[in-house]
Amino acid sequence: MKNNTLGKVDAVSCRVLCDSANSVDGKTAGRRFYFVFKQSLVLFLVFTCVRGAGAGEKERAGYILTSKAFRVAAEKVLPSIVTIETYGASARPKSSGRRRRRSSGGISRPGDGPTTGVIVSSDGYIVTSTFNFATNPRIITIILRDGSRYVAKLLGRDETRKICVLKIEGVSDLPVPEMVDRNELKVGQWAISVGVGYGDDDPAISYGIISATSRISGKAVQTDANISPANYGGPLIDIEGRMIGLCTPLSPRSNEVTAGVAWYDSGIGFAVPLHGADRLLAIMKEGKVVYPGRIGIIPKPASPQGGGVAIATVAPGTPAKKAKLKKEDVILSIDGEKIIDVLHLRIVLGRYVAGDKITLRIKSGKEERDVELTLTKGVEPTKKPPVRKLPGKPKGKPDKKPAA
Amino acid sequence: MRTKKTTSWLPALAWLLAVLAVTVSAAGAPAQEAAADAESHESDNVFAKAIAHAQKRCVKIYGARIGRVEGFATGVIVSDDGLILTGQGVFLSGTSIDVVLPDGSRHVAVVERRSPALQVALLRIRVQTPNFFKVPEKSVVRKGDWVVAVTNLFQVAEGAEELSVNLGIVSLRTRLDAKRGTQDVPYRGEALLVDAITSNPGAEGGALVTIDGKLAGMVGKIIESKSTNTRLNYAVPSDLLYKFMAGKLIEPAAIATAGGGKTELGIRLFKLGGKRAPAYVDRVVPGSPAAEAGFKKDDLVLTINGEVVKNVRECKKMLDKLPAGEEVVILVKRKNEILRAALVPAEVKSDEK
Repeated sequence: MKNNTLGKVDAVSCRVLCDSANSVDGKTAGRRFYFVFKQSLVLFLVFTCVRGAGAGEKERAGYILTSKAFRVAAEKVLPSIVTIETYGASARPKSSGRRRRRSSGGISRPGDGPTTGVIVSSDGYIVTSTFNFATNPRIITIILRDGSRYVAKLLGRDETRKICVLKIEGVSDLPVPEMVDRNELKVGQWAISVGVGYGDDDPAISYGIISATSRISGKAVQTDANISPANYGGPLIDIEGRMIGLCTPLSPRSNEVTAGVAWYDSGIGFAVPLHGADRLLAIMKEGKVVYPGRIGIIPKPASPQGGGVAIATVAPGTPAKKAKLKKEDVILSIDGEKIIDVLHLRIVLGRYVAGDKITLRIKSGKEERDVELTLTKGVEPTKKPPVRKLPGKPKGKPDKKPAA
Repeated sequence: MRTKKTTSWLPALAWLLAVLAVTVSAAGAPAQEAAADAESHESDNVFAKAIAHAQKRCVKIYGARIGRVEGFATGVIVSDDGLILTGQGVFLSGTSIDVVLPDGSRHVAVVERRSPALQVALLRIRVQTPNFFKVPEKSVVRKGDWVVAVTNLFQVAEGAEELSVNLGIVSLRTRLDAKRGTQDVPYRGEALLVDAITSNPGAEGGALVTIDGKLAGMVGKIIESKSTNTRLNYAVPSDLLYKFMAGKLIEPAAIATAGGGKTELGIRLFKLGGKRAPAYVDRVVPGSPAAEAGFKKDDLVLTINGEVVKNVRECKKMLDKLPAGEEVVILVKRKNEILRAALVPAEVKSDEK
């Protein structure tokens, strides 16, 4: 009852306390006043709540409030968290392949316990991590926080973000968490991971900060909060209980379903922001797979300093080939956004999916032109017959760089 | 920069308010008992006092090693006459156990008592230990509270060197063994999960202390959770340690086995899909408890008494263990509906089946 309002005040004041060090610069006088007023209010609260004096007392009180804020934030998102249970594993994850099931330190498959999901629409759509279905279970059930249990249907997935959508029927008015606009995120701000993977109805929480706001070609934010099978599919939240992203194992080098799991609880964890991901969700809700949109080129820096993007190779049978892009053409912009370098190209392209139409501004020689093309899900590498290498013959050069 | 001058009085206002608050609260407030006793350390950071307090009350323990299992751990002094709490590891199995006090002095310890359930042991050294943790009778932490783990992980501290300190929060207090009815982990009871990485060699037996320097728990063993397939960072909560020390801890029986003979619900599972397939009902024995409860062919068994049944193998195991005469609650999935059935297993005469 009363607790809730108190908690809310605390959460806000905590944030102010914690952010106080770095957010003063460049504020207008009005905002500064507001800020300082709030801070004084916090101090007032702190000193009336926590008795005693001393040099470290303010800081100590701040820490105690922070703990409370962690709890309040987790409670806020709690109604949107679901427990996922799976029945009948029918396959080992593909990636385990010939390798041993358990590598040293890392893990390659989910445990026996439940996993976590987050409600993203009031009519029963749930987003979670594809890792939770790495064993390809036959039946999936969902337990809402009120204890009710539903049979869930697995719909579409995004294999590069490693998230997928489930649907339960016969529900309405389910609580959806508030999403943080990713542009508001700052490195160093609090982040809390929440998950029910330990099997308790009560979720486990782990604190940390945002380590980077853009990772894995812009698809994820990075945190040092513990991210593991205990919270894969669960939310990463801010100090106010708003959802920053969905915890999922990711690796900059591989899209395999268990890639990135070796980093569990290591200080390197990822969460995929769902704010502004309506298109992705819409595709997945239809039961489709989200494929990254590809142009069909291998990019290279346009200048020796690394700036700009030029085309190194145009792959046959791709949108780029159809649009008559050529080697050494320079990509100036995509839909009006200036392309800075190769990584930036990947990040910008990462916002699109296969099937999207984009307009490229291309400079070939001295002439500039606009090229419209439809992104594809990429050319499946044609299966080459095994080549027996003969001594003295030049090797075919397999290009390891993924085509952008 | 531009606005600095105009608003420089504002922080002053803030402090004025704060100081006012202090005087107001100090007037009516009873002097709060500082958990950490008067240490000479400057309280220049929030955790300094608690850590300094803990450093004087933690010991390094050296004992036997077996193969690749290390023979060292940490311990917590819990009385003024040399009682030390630690984990139950192979380091206790050898002929001698050495305890190194914070001052670097080395003493021989003997095991006084053990708790297989908590995987803790109580050691004694024949020396006075004026600095000790008072083990709180009740839990002193909640989820989200800051805790520091003071341990000798990887044996990086030696002699009189101070132990290593990790900061974290309490992630959850939960049972580690509640699920599945099998012994996933040697630990039986509630545990404090923390998000500091404490699951490392040598950390076992270390102190988990609050921001006030109170003993919140004792760092546990290196164990893996079957739920997540990951290492668990857990501590034995202080209230359970208190019970153990007071001799009030009820050690659970080894494994609760179903008393009496075999029981029967009358469910025959579909076995052709393999042992890892979901537990579908293939046939219901007419006249059996399952038939009376309305079980049908193609129902899928989801849970038995609240425990998830992942596949045919697990289902069979759990059905075989059901004691006669006790009601069992089974959740089944029929098409897209989830149904609940409560039924009582019938006893089967041993010569049947």
